[in-house]
Amino acid sequence: MHATVTEIIDDLSLVIFGKQTQIKLALTCLFSQGHLLIEDLPGMGKTTLSHALASVLGLSYQRVQFTSDLLPSDILGASIFNSNEHTFTFHKGPVFSQVVLADEINRAGPKTQSALLEAMEEKQVSMDGDIYPLPSPFFVIATQNPLFQSGTYPLPESQLDRFMMRISLGFPPKEAERKLILGDNNRDYDALPKRINPTQLINIQDEIAKLTLSAPVVDYIIELVTYTRDSSIFANPLSPRASIALAKAAQAWAFIDGRDFVTPDDVQAVFKSVTAHRLAIDEQTSELQIKQLLNAVAVPL
Amino acid sequence: MQRIHNEKSINLTLSLIYGIVILFIMAELTPAFTLVLAALCLWNFILTLMNKSKPGALLANILAGLCLVLLLYDIGFSDSVTLFVAMLILSSLFKLLQAKSKKHYQTIVLLSFFSLSTVYLFSQSIIATLSVSALYVLNFAALALIEAKHNLKIASKQSLKMLFIALPVAVFLLLFLPKLPAFWQLPGPKLAKTGLSESVNPFDIAKLSNSDELVFRAKLATANPPSAPYYWRAIIHDEFDGSTWLVSDLLKSQQRKQSTSTTNTASDTQYSIIAEPSAKPWLFGLNKAYSTNRNVKTTEQGLLIRKRYLSNNINYQVKSTALDNSQLTKLQRYQNTKLTDAQQNNLRSQQLAFDLFKKNDTDRAFFSALTEYFANQGFSYTLTPEPMTSQDTIDEFMFSNKRGFCGHYASAAAFMFRAVGIPARVVSGYLGGELNEKDDYLSVYQYDAHAWVEVHIADEGWQIFDATAVVSPERLNGSLSQMQSLNNEFTNNLEFSLLRFNQIPGFNWLRLNLENLDYKWTNWVLGFDQQKQSSLLKALFGNNQLWKISLFVILTVIGIFIVYFIYLNWPKKSAESEHRLAQDFMNIANWCDKNGLNHADNLTPQQYLRQASEHFPEKKSYLLQFAQLYSDVRYKGDEFTEQRKKHSHDLVKLIKAKTKRIL
Repeated sequence: MHATVTEIIDDLSLVIFGKQTQIKLALTCLFSQGHLLIEDLPGMGKTTLSHALASVLGLSYQRVQFTSDLLPSDILGASIFNSNEHTFTFHKGPVFSQVVLADEINRAGPKTQSALLEAMEEKQVSMDGDIYPLPSPFFVIATQNPLFQSGTYPLPESQLDRFMMRISLGFPPKEAERKLILGDNNRDYDALPKRINPTQLINIQDEIAKLTLSAPVVDYIIELVTYTRDSSIFANPLSPRASIALAKAAQAWAFIDGRDFVTPDDVQAVFKSVTAHRLAIDEQTSELQIKQLLNAVAVPL
Repeated sequence: MQRIHNEKSINLTLSLIYGIVILFIMAELTPAFTLVLAALCLWNFILTLMNKSKPGALLANILAGLCLVLLLYDIGFSDSVTLFVAMLILSSLFKLLQAKSKKHYQTIVLLSFFSLSTVYLFSQSIIATLSVSALYVLNFAALALIEAKHNLKIASKQSLKMLFIALPVAVFLLLFLPKLPAFWQLPGPKLAKTGLSESVNPFDIAKLSNSDELVFRAKLATANPPSAPYYWRAIIHDEFDGSTWLVSDLLKSQQRKQSTSTTNTASDTQYSIIAEPSAKPWLFGLNKAYSTNRNVKTTEQGLLIRKRYLSNNINYQVKSTALDNSQLTKLQRYQNTKLTDAQQNNLRSQQLAFDLFKKNDTDRAFFSALTEYFANQGFSYTLTPEPMTSQDTIDEFMFSNKRGFCGHYASAAAFMFRAVGIPARVVSGYLGGELNEKDDYLSVYQYDAHAWVEVHIADEGWQIFDATAVVSPERLNGSLSQMQSLNNEFTNNLEFSLLRFNQIPGFNWLRLNLENLDYKWTNWVLGFDQQKQSSLLKALFGNNQLWKISLFVILTVIGIFIVYFIYLNWPKKSAESEHRLAQDFMNIANWCDKNGLNHADNLTPQQYLRQASEHFPEKKSYLLQFAQLYSDVRYKGDEFTEQRKKHSHDLVKLIKAKTKRIL
């Protein structure tokens, strides 16, 4: 199974140049059944990455471009009067697919954001008294622009918490950018080979949940979250949900690395992506702050 | 008002502490008052257990008033120590019944420290000491619980640790703190317990109540110890009023003087005695004893008497010579042959004495004849004689009843000696004792109490005449508790005691060992007085080297504090990482630290070992092997087998080994 994962990473690397870590993090998030938030400036390849991810994992894919006038029913779907049968029939919205790409999620108003986030949490849509389950696996990959951009509605902390990880792609290395300019990358991501099917994905997710999580690693996670709670540096310390997400993400990272046990190194690798948005740290300054945090906490032996 | 997290367990613990304290001082209080205290204790315990609210202030005040009246009425003002102890415990219990806030509980815990210490006023035995120490642990735990959120078990563990840490200081203080005379001294025990009394009248006693209370212990010296039988003399009764043997006023006045004759001969037997605290003046010695202890007075008759009544043990050296063999003065002869009014009764016994004396005309012959008489006329020893009430009690005993204990025989024999004009006196004291062979000492209990006769035979001096020994010879050796024939009678007469279970072999072993432990405790800890302290200091520092002692004490105090400081500030990490591999890792990290690679504990072990392998390329393979092993065991969950243990050990050795410098 690990060989497949390596192939997937290789495939994705052909689409996004020089961003191996980010690709691995994105996969980590999906493998541990979490939703992914990609925050970056426009034109950095957010949409490309998410689209390529959906395609390589062989999942159905819908893209919703969020705008300030987008309404909840534009995402969830609406009941429409059928004049022939004189009944209301529910027309499913774009949320009813395995991967939903919510592009520029912070451009829509709070009402629309909430509708999506509710669906993410419940994995179902309730409309007019009926409940419509969402497909499984179900991922939301949302992208957002940095908040200083005009015309954005920042996601409240409670909703940011729903995303397991927040990553940013960052500018590509010079060599990678040269290739991009020359058009060497694979732009046709629909043509990417489908390495796995949804059943295999679910198998991978199950396997990851069984990875050995030894006592020193759990201790380390607890030390880290306790530090954010006790140090009084952070206005929003990490919640138990964050601890669980950290453990799951570390397991997935270890799996991608080809191991069946988790080490503190795995925790450190995923720590920034899992916690920075929960601690209300800006993506721009997160690198430094998270490094300080990790330096301040001793690794249990 | 601050909320307390552990209110329930604090309440239960304090109730338990007070319950046990009450058990310990129960003997000093009256039954009624003990019941009241126990009821208060139980009340609080049950209220807590059932989560009910504590009684209101009015009710508690009324009850407290009633209890105070009972206390004053029941115990009275005569025994101020018991009164104040009872008051302290009563008030603490009422405070506990009222306690709600943190401050209340703090007050009570503080009071319990005093209440606990009062146990020592009444008993200093090893069992009391151990129990009170255990209660101190609980009390400290309760104190900790007031502030902390953790449970009683953890708190007890911590307070136990604390007491152990304090132990060296306690030992040090015991050994080196100057034993100053107290500014005020506690009065000695007031309650007269069973035991000897100044008047011996055996005939109205139906049942000899025995107590297994320890009276004294005698440590036999290695050089020239006395030999059995041990007649521990305590009181001489020289006046007979027809039924009772008394200490005459004449004898009392004779005993007021301190004996001056301290003839020191080589044949003197030597031993030392540790007497338990008692309200009675007499102490114990064999034959004609004398002691140079400043708390002990030696009388001309060779008896030892307390000079001071202390609430703790008294430990004195004794030497004994044979009883006086000088001729009696006229006064002494009169004193020891006087029968006065008693001559009108017990005529048959007098007649018997005359008849015997006629047949055997010397004192010595009469002595033997009387011995023979007691041996052959069907006398028997019993602890449950029938009370004799007539005017002629001795006749009744000698001719019809013929059953009795030591008092009967001594009384009758002395009477008959006096009837024929041979000086005789009844002596009471203790006979024998339980020999501990391991440490070679005798324990003498109240049930070893005995009475015998001393007869003055011309040319020979005072001789012991013990009719009891004739009737029941086995009584001479060992202790009463060891006599098989009287076992049933003995245990039935005994108040509740471990001796009852003597027949069970394990129990006797346990009892004897506890006894021995208590002896050691008494001898070494309680008996460590000014004299022993100064001889210890002399042995350690030589004579007159006061500055050496002071210097040593100051240095030790500083030393102890330094040790405590280091202990308290010792980095906790090494204690926490209980895993062997983690210790090995720290070992390697320390080695790297010394050799110029600073250890940053925010690095994961893997990162650190990788860094180290780059820093020490010659150790690279070992370091990476260790990293692999560490990851396998600590993270992968592989078992830490002996083989892996050894591997890890070897790797640490290899890493720490000096590398050969390549030239």
